[in-house]
Amino acid sequence: MSAVAAKPAAGGAINPTAMAIGVVMLVILLGIAFYVSPGVGFMALIGIVIGGILIGFGTHFVPVGGAPAAMGQAPGIATGVAMLAAGAGLAGLFGGAWAAASGQSLIVVVVSGGIGGGLMMAITCMMVNFVYVFGMGIPAASGKVAKDPITGDSQAEYKSQGTEGHGLPFVSFVGGVIGGILGGAGGTLIYVELLNLYQATLPAVMQITPAQVMPIAVSVAGMFAVGLFLVNAVLTAYNITGTIEGPHDPKFKRWPRSIVASAVASALCGLVAILIVVL
Amino acid sequence: MEHIVFGIGITALTGALATVAGSAEDTESNIGSQGDPNSQVQLAPQMGFLHRIFNKAVAGEPPAYGLWCALGAGLAWAFMAMQMNAVLAIVLGCILAVFVQGVYATTAYVGRTASLSKFGQPIYVDILKSMTTVTMAHAFIAIFCTVTLCYLINVALGHPFPLPLLGLIWGIALGAAGSATGNPYYGKERQYQNQKFGAGVPISASGNIVRYAEAGERNSIDNGWFTAKIGGSASGICFGLIVFLELWRTVLFEKVSAGWGAIIVGILIILIFTVVDRYIEVWARKNYGPYTAAKEAEA
Repeated sequence: MSAVAAKPAAGGAINPTAMAIGVVMLVILLGIAFYVSPGVGFMALIGIVIGGILIGFGTHFVPVGGAPAAMGQAPGIATGVAMLAAGAGLAGLFGGAWAAASGQSLIVVVVSGGIGGGLMMAITCMMVNFVYVFGMGIPAASGKVAKDPITGDSQAEYKSQGTEGHGLPFVSFVGGVIGGILGGAGGTLIYVELLNLYQATLPAVMQITPAQVMPIAVSVAGMFAVGLFLVNAVLTAYNITGTIEGPHDPKFKRWPRSIVASAVASALCGLVAILIVVL
Repeated sequence: MEHIVFGIGITALTGALATVAGSAEDTESNIGSQGDPNSQVQLAPQMGFLHRIFNKAVAGEPPAYGLWCALGAGLAWAFMAMQMNAVLAIVLGCILAVFVQGVYATTAYVGRTASLSKFGQPIYVDILKSMTTVTMAHAFIAIFCTVTLCYLINVALGHPFPLPLLGLIWGIALGAAGSATGNPYYGKERQYQNQKFGAGVPISASGNIVRYAEAGERNSIDNGWFTAKIGGSASGICFGLIVFLELWRTVLFEKVSAGWGAIIVGILIILIFTVVDRYIEVWARKNYGPYTAAKEAEA
């Protein structure tokens, strides 16, 4: 089919065959992990896949307007979706890793990472609206919905002429915070699972004491967590084709295929992270 | 108690460093047109509007600052491993990272502008010489402040991540906060100063950026001067608040209720910012009013 003959909505369509292939690939990758390391390695990969799914799903919530938002031509935050999600998620990972070092339980560590990401997004979204309103005199208006789904505020009459909206309506703010929380929690979960794996396996692999292995385990787990975060955020950026207003945007409905893609990509990258210590 | 007081002091210092870093980062990126408004700087010659604006956007601000801060932090870490004094190591590491930024800025400007030769856009050597050094100076401030706050987090507050990884994480967060907050002010308020205040730029006006100053042609140092007043300050406050509040809630409340104290305080801070954001949104709707009547807009 030529590009001209393609359906305009093709970008948003769900392809069942591709989804099925993705699920089969995921099962194969999990099977390999179970074969090479049925205990700690397999459980770590399960955690990594869940973390990757959280990051991929969370990135759909982050309201990003890209270049048009920088001219007040479209709503959202004026930067790249992968980059903003990474900024928030890594701020969360920072907090989660700190909690993990204090010996807190897994749930506290993951929630702490999520709150770190949500806090970063809450401050950033508030400052975006601050600059729009007090720096540029422009009220927030959505281009995708007639009324804000949360507050019920009408949007159309607050769009200035020749634009698709501007700033961050309340629903976009809430979406940004939810996206930051999910991203931060997902990144932290990946980090903690890898850290536990490396702490358990590296002393035998490198013939050193657990105390000596700690800085190496933290560094390698941190690097893999950052890398996996970027993989999942960029995958999602392709899924939403660059810009999205938040959970009320029609593009948000594309999340199922992103979940499958994130799960497969996380499983593949996670498998590499596991194989370097179990083989 | 002493430990907590020491932690709060370090937290305040890192918050102040982050504020300066955020402000310098946004001003640097605006002088170099590195944020999303670079699309207009690149588009203008294609629409027939030749200009003398610097444009070094071949990467977004977050990955670029992730690279430079990780580089500065990594080099400082290596110097410290060679028993060098920490202050000297950080300064030297940041200077070397800034040289990389200078090379990046030079090749990016020449490369991007050369691609516009078919539209008659010249590469101005005087712009290259004067703007690159100014962006390097601002980048040094941003990178130095970020690497220093990473060092304090690592050494004084005991974060487990090594210095280069902290540089990467906070460099990306710095670029994300600075571009999110500062880009609209540069893109709308400065590049389209000839458009109506209090409204977005109509899509039909894309590419028609302001090219003339009070005397002669506008250049990017003028843009840095203008955006430093609100865009730069707002970016600084944004990044400063992120770093300060993240550290503050952890240092003070981490030991409360087995870690849940810091989480509850984090949720409360998020709720406070949610209320402030809603207040700003409603304030704007009430004070600025709609652009058109509601019925007309629906039609």
